Amino acid sequence: MIEVTNLGKTYRRGDGTPVEALKDISFLIERGEFVTIRGPSGSGKSSMLNIVGCLDKPTSGAYRLNGEELSGYSDKQLSHVRAWKIGFVFQSFNLMPRTTALENVEIPMIYGPGRVDRNRAMAALERVGLGERAHHYGTELSGGEQQRVAIARALINDPPLILADEPTGNLDSVAGAEVMGILRQLHQEGRTVVLVTHDDAVAAYAEREILFKDGVLASDRKIAVLATE
Amino acid sequence: MRITSGIRIAWRSMSRNRLRTFFMMAGVMIGICSLTILDSVGENTKRETMKRFKNMIGTFDTVIIRPGAGKTRGMVSLTNVPPTLKFEDAAAIAAELPEIKQVALLQNAFDIDVKYKDKNVSPAIFGVSANWLDLRGDEVAQGNFITEEDMQSLARVAILGSDVVPVLFPEGDALGRTIRIGDVPFQVKGVLASRGAGPGGGSLDNLILIPVGTAAKRLFNRDFLTMLIAQVREPEKSDAAVAKITALLRQRHHIAASALDDFTLTSPQAVMAQVTQMGSTLSTILKGIATIAMCIGGAVIMSLMLISVSERRKEIGLRRSVGASRQDILVQFILEAALISSFGGLIGIVLGLGGTNLVARMQHLPPIFALRALEWTAGLSVGLGLVFGIYPAWRATQVDPVKALRT
Repeated sequence: MIEVTNLGKTYRRGDGTPVEALKDISFLIERGEFVTIRGPSGSGKSSMLNIVGCLDKPTSGAYRLNGEELSGYSDKQLSHVRAWKIGFVFQSFNLMPRTTALENVEIPMIYGPGRVDRNRAMAALERVGLGERAHHYGTELSGGEQQRVAIARALINDPPLILADEPTGNLDSVAGAEVMGILRQLHQEGRTVVLVTHDDAVAAYAEREILFKDGVLASDRKIAVLATE
Repeated sequence: MRITSGIRIAWRSMSRNRLRTFFMMAGVMIGICSLTILDSVGENTKRETMKRFKNMIGTFDTVIIRPGAGKTRGMVSLTNVPPTLKFEDAAAIAAELPEIKQVALLQNAFDIDVKYKDKNVSPAIFGVSANWLDLRGDEVAQGNFITEEDMQSLARVAILGSDVVPVLFPEGDALGRTIRIGDVPFQVKGVLASRGAGPGGGSLDNLILIPVGTAAKRLFNRDFLTMLIAQVREPEKSDAAVAKITALLRQRHHIAASALDDFTLTSPQAVMAQVTQMGSTLSTILKGIATIAMCIGGAVIMSLMLISVSERRKEIGLRRSVGASRQDILVQFILEAALISSFGGLIGIVLGLGGTNLVARMQHLPPIFALRALEWTAGLSVGLGLVFGIYPAWRATQVDPVKALRT
């Protein structure tokens, strides 16, 4: 599913000095895996997730998604990949202001299929248990509910890959557990889930942990699934 | 992204930020509104001026000949007439130049008292030839006009302008009555239909017409003329006719080759060309003002769009993360700008038409709907949004989604 080979990413600071965020990273994630990427701040884990999510391009090395080599892709081609193959879940939810839950879920359909199917959006909301709240604005929802709307939005074009960047970072433990429960469900349906987190309790949902440190891949190991229903 | 989705997104964004949308519209609205008013009123005024000039000049296949050099074009001075243009000149032009169909004569005077019983007025007295009616495009409302027989017999008959009748004959029974012009009795033979206002706005109806021979021999005792109107056989060759008349008059007046003409020729076509020229200068100026107004409206759109783009970095980042390409973002913002300025323009046009008709009512002119103005103001308001939306929209495409989405 995800094949990263000798990948490097160098940023330029404001004063022009280069910063190596990722150095010679290689790993392979199979379809259907549930993986966490961990590491201290500045270790390069978010940079890695942005490249995997086609929001950013590597400076060197290769990145293949579903066998497609993406490093030479144009903005339009990468956008197409984001629309159909990838669903993002962010720490800060990123719901659109003054927009209902339902309208938020509909957004990716504008860029994927091109036409908005309200019934499908409604079904996606029902799936995350928010059918009743479809016509509420983001500000009227709790943090956990907002994150569930974001998950429904990530799922609406039925992508095989879910990328979550600290999805429980802004939630209390109950709401966090709810969100993780949904992510686990997605994994059980056969989707690949890649999760960036600091939180041990969250990391415990995954089957595999990739650890970053100072821009290099420090360890990559299978872990026992501790969290249970 | 489909264009319909783009329009829907733009519409939602507009309705979510009503105040911003209103201010963006306001610039275009005011610009287009004032433009519509200026253009329509300008057009209306031009038309009215043309109408008045036409009124004064009469028919269009004519050349006006006046004594004296270098007269102001268009306006005919009826006072201080140099005594150089004679009856014989008129006869010669009519007889010797095949290009000329006929010549009408005018001799005039002011400040002559006209009396009927105890009432009196002092209109302009025009001594004219029998063909005056044809060449001026006048109409007789009652009775008859001066005839060739009247001319031959130096008849003392008078045709009254429509302003004179109510003063001398409040009952309206002017025909057949005897009035006194100076001390000479004249019989009222006809009444002219009203011509309305001339270019200066003054009435063209405050006058009395009498046969020109009668005027010269029995009233003014003068052998020179105020004006001749020569009708050209082929109006498209009026330049050639002007040259022929000039040559003939110079020869008759014994003017040396190096000296200037002692007369002035004006073809109404030349005058109208000048009026038209004046009108188009006016509309060029108006278009200049319009351009400035539009640029201000455009600058308002652009600056508010730029603010909007920086406020909506998160939205842009989110759209990019769910599959929007840079091009999708560009189209979305340009559409929004174009939609806003189109709405602003539409409201501006509606207000402008209202304003136009208000102005027309104040000028006592018929209301107009300047369709010509609508076409280009409508185009302008759409184009404005497109042009001034491009830069902010481009800026929106440069938003880095990674940075925008970071908390």
